[in-house]
Amino acid sequence: MDLEFNETELAFRDEVRAFMRSELPEDISRKVISGNELTRDDYMRWQAILNAKGWLATTWEEEYGGPGWDAVQRHIFSEESALHGAPRMPPFGLAMMGPVLIKFGTEEQKSTLLPRILDGSDWWCQGFSEPGAGSDLASMKMRAERDGDEYVLNGQKTWTTLGQYANKIFCLVRTASEGKPQASISFLLVDLDTPGVEMRPIRLIDGGYEVNEVFFTDVRVPVENLVGNENEGWTIAKYLLTHERTNIAGVGFSIMDLERYKTLAQEIKRDGMQLSDHPIYAARAAAIEADLEALRITNLRILAETRDGSAGGVGSSMLKLKGTQVRQELQDLYRSAIGPRAATLSSGLSHNEMSVPYDAGQAAQVYFLHRKLSIFGGSNEIQRNIVAKEMFRD
Amino acid sequence: MKALVPVKRVIDYNVKVRVKADGSGVDLANVKMSMNPFDEIAVEEAIRLKEAGKVDEIVAVSIGVKQAQETLRTALAMGADRAILVVATDDVHADIEPLAVAKILKAIVDEEQPGLVLCGKQAIDNDMNATGQMLSALLGWSQATFASEVDVEGNSAKITREVDGGLQTISVKMPAIVTVDLRLNEPRYASLPNIMKAKKKPLDEKSAADYGVDVSPRLEVVKTEEPAQRAAGITVGSVDELIEKLKEAGAV
Amino acid sequence: MDFNLSEDHQLLSNTLNRFLGDNYDIEKRNEAGFTAPYHLQDMWNGLAELGVIGALVSEEKGGFGGSAEDISVVFEELGRSLCVEPMLGTLLALRVLSDHGQDERVEQIISGESRAALAVYEPNMSCDLSAMEATAVEQDGVWRLNGRKSAIYGAPGSDFVVVAAKTESGTGLFFLENPVLICAAMVDGGGVADLVMENTAAECLALDAETSLTSALDLGRIALCAEAVGAMSALQDLTVDYLKQRKQFGTTLSSFQALQHRAVNMQIEIEQCRSIVISAVGQFGQPGGERNVSMAKNLIGRAGRLMSEESIQLHGGIGMTWEYPGAHFAKRLVMIDHQLGDQNDHAMRLIATGAKQLVD
Repeated sequence: MDLEFNETELAFRDEVRAFMRSELPEDISRKVISGNELTRDDYMRWQAILNAKGWLATTWEEEYGGPGWDAVQRHIFSEESALHGAPRMPPFGLAMMGPVLIKFGTEEQKSTLLPRILDGSDWWCQGFSEPGAGSDLASMKMRAERDGDEYVLNGQKTWTTLGQYANKIFCLVRTASEGKPQASISFLLVDLDTPGVEMRPIRLIDGGYEVNEVFFTDVRVPVENLVGNENEGWTIAKYLLTHERTNIAGVGFSIMDLERYKTLAQEIKRDGMQLSDHPIYAARAAAIEADLEALRITNLRILAETRDGSAGGVGSSMLKLKGTQVRQELQDLYRSAIGPRAATLSSGLSHNEMSVPYDAGQAAQVYFLHRKLSIFGGSNEIQRNIVAKEMFRD
Repeated sequence: MKALVPVKRVIDYNVKVRVKADGSGVDLANVKMSMNPFDEIAVEEAIRLKEAGKVDEIVAVSIGVKQAQETLRTALAMGADRAILVVATDDVHADIEPLAVAKILKAIVDEEQPGLVLCGKQAIDNDMNATGQMLSALLGWSQATFASEVDVEGNSAKITREVDGGLQTISVKMPAIVTVDLRLNEPRYASLPNIMKAKKKPLDEKSAADYGVDVSPRLEVVKTEEPAQRAAGITVGSVDELIEKLKEAGAV
Repeated sequence: MDFNLSEDHQLLSNTLNRFLGDNYDIEKRNEAGFTAPYHLQDMWNGLAELGVIGALVSEEKGGFGGSAEDISVVFEELGRSLCVEPMLGTLLALRVLSDHGQDERVEQIISGESRAALAVYEPNMSCDLSAMEATAVEQDGVWRLNGRKSAIYGAPGSDFVVVAAKTESGTGLFFLENPVLICAAMVDGGGVADLVMENTAAECLALDAETSLTSALDLGRIALCAEAVGAMSALQDLTVDYLKQRKQFGTTLSSFQALQHRAVNMQIEIEQCRSIVISAVGQFGQPGGERNVSMAKNLIGRAGRLMSEESIQLHGGIGMTWEYPGAHFAKRLVMIDHQLGDQNDHAMRLIATGAKQLVD
């Protein structure tokens, strides 16, 4: 039994830390830590810094411009990123489109599209969910009718995260009407400036704009934009959904949030005492701290299994479940701790630079926004189904 | 006299075996592995022979993956004197076939010159029941299989065998190969002080190539299936009803 | 980073697993656990012969192990078979005795020749040693103890008790042979006792043993947490098997999503508990390591109750019966929280020991 990283891994961690300390722009990390919305420019600045270092596409093979890291290195990098308040780079191009192209794309697709992801020419967004197809993704309906060398798209996608910043979207489309629902889905790439594509923002519970709905009306897309074979898109979708996802437990985010809470608890008073000494708050924080320390180790255990090739497959579902529970619990604790001030929508909807270290309105808004954690990326109920399927296998 | 005891690392007898999704074999990922129970009985018998002054050294041998080292440590902790690990594959799912195992064992017997080879009658993973017999043929030694009693006296041994009709007692010339059955003895537990002593006992690591044996498989696993689930039974009210049901099922 | 047991620990775990599996069935356990002296002498002798008692003490103090990991390996297996043998009390007594040069007594205990228990807790005290009321005063060269000790685990049938009591210099340790004990079975089986002391004469082992006591108690907590992990895994196996077999409405219970999801929540908590024990074991003896022990005891207290209540509910009526083994596992998991400080006591300890910097 050995809980520590080995010397090479520790040296790598130090290297990442040094990099974060010297290269991460402070205005960006301040926004991340306080839960403020990042602009497209914020993301692009950080992307360019990472790309210059060769640390951008962490899951790609070296020949395509990835750093050639193993699972442990990727884990260390994502944890350190979270701990230092680096933006979580949107996964759609780097962690989804890239690996899909590398595995299923043609040589032409790889050589033209991969570099554009790295240098920021393309910002991809995801067109999977539809109004009638959420967790039950295979019931999606958006049609793509073949017409000569083109597909004609009609339908609607939704929950498209950061679509407002994107210029391209990868979609699951229905290319046949008979057979099993899974056997008539194709994976298609669409330029968002194609005539007939319309993106509308969806305002979320916190008042902010993070997701969109995308409407397709007689959108004509060249057949070369197909990834993989026609009607084999479900294989790619499944690959994406089961592909090893880094940082799914979000331990780094939670450690940072707990630190943030502890700092707050030492600064403010409630019921005539320091919040850190308040029996009810302190007890809650203590329980979360225990859960988080356990989660940190669980994450490392599953990481070690992945490294040794003995991972069972349900590990990432368990990490997603517990990880999101802990994060949501922390957001709730933080919101409660702010007290009456949490009711004030102090910074309005503009998410301006904060005027005080612990923005009251922000805490409640961030809490509400974080209800998304247990819904997206395969809802927590879907994750339980996955674990149960393995558990009750004969 | 030196005794050689081959031991195999197999899936633990308490683990519910699951077939891999592609049917290529049994799923061994994250599964508890232990010493083949019949081999444990062989180790125990060797220790008892040593305690009775009939054996002076016990050499345990395991052929398979590197992790079989743990199986050998168990043998050493029970009371074997030293161990030889022959790493023949690095794939935990690979099963080294009996003939290859017997050839390697023959080479080890040639080197070690034991007076007795004690091994389990079969391994509970593939149930081949072949290694002991093949080794006997390769060495030209006498063999006694399915032993439930072992009595070594000078140049011969009296072995009681469990056969279909009951018990058969035979006398074999030494050196001999004895494969042991379930009722021969109850193996001891490795105590903690002995586990610690076992750390200091010699364990040599070799490879199949060191003995010039080709371990590539000669058998092909066509398919692995879990046993069919038993259908639920029914309770019948009377003998007549039973007969009727049996007739319906075409059983009588 | 390697979370596999070392070869020695794997062998030790295998030995115990087999020894208990072969010799210790639930009927035998339930018979022994509720009848004085609340354990089986044969089993105790067997455990001593296997060197298991020695695993609780380091080699330089006469044992064969003594690390937090050795202790967690032993107790996880004891938990898996719901063993009522007085191993916890023995661990606590052995640790303080070996800390205070009682080599001969340690040797006797390890060999199984004699047995000891540690009297720390009192009716008005749970986790915090500073609340101790029992006193020890020296009069004419004889130490005399006054006060009442409770929750002395494994004391029934023991040959002597080590008593913690307040002295002028701190918390002292005293040795009491043939103590007069008020013995009882515990709700979940196994023996426990109270000890009333009125000018009771005792041999002084140490005048200020707080460091040693705290360390022994923390190891006891790690032991309890590891025991809980073993018991939880065994209980989860029973529950999952039951859900797969039991049919209602023409189908197995395991096909109902409401039940599946609860079983999954239990599984995740078991993994979390296993992880927190690994954390507590890894940090034991390091600066701040006592916080990881308290995190473990806090989490295990909460998860133990969840496992217990959910397993009973998922079984339905059968889970309420004395005859069903799962019921006894469920009881043990709740009652572990009552030993050596519960989830609240340990939350208080986490709060009192302050904010440990998680990011260095």
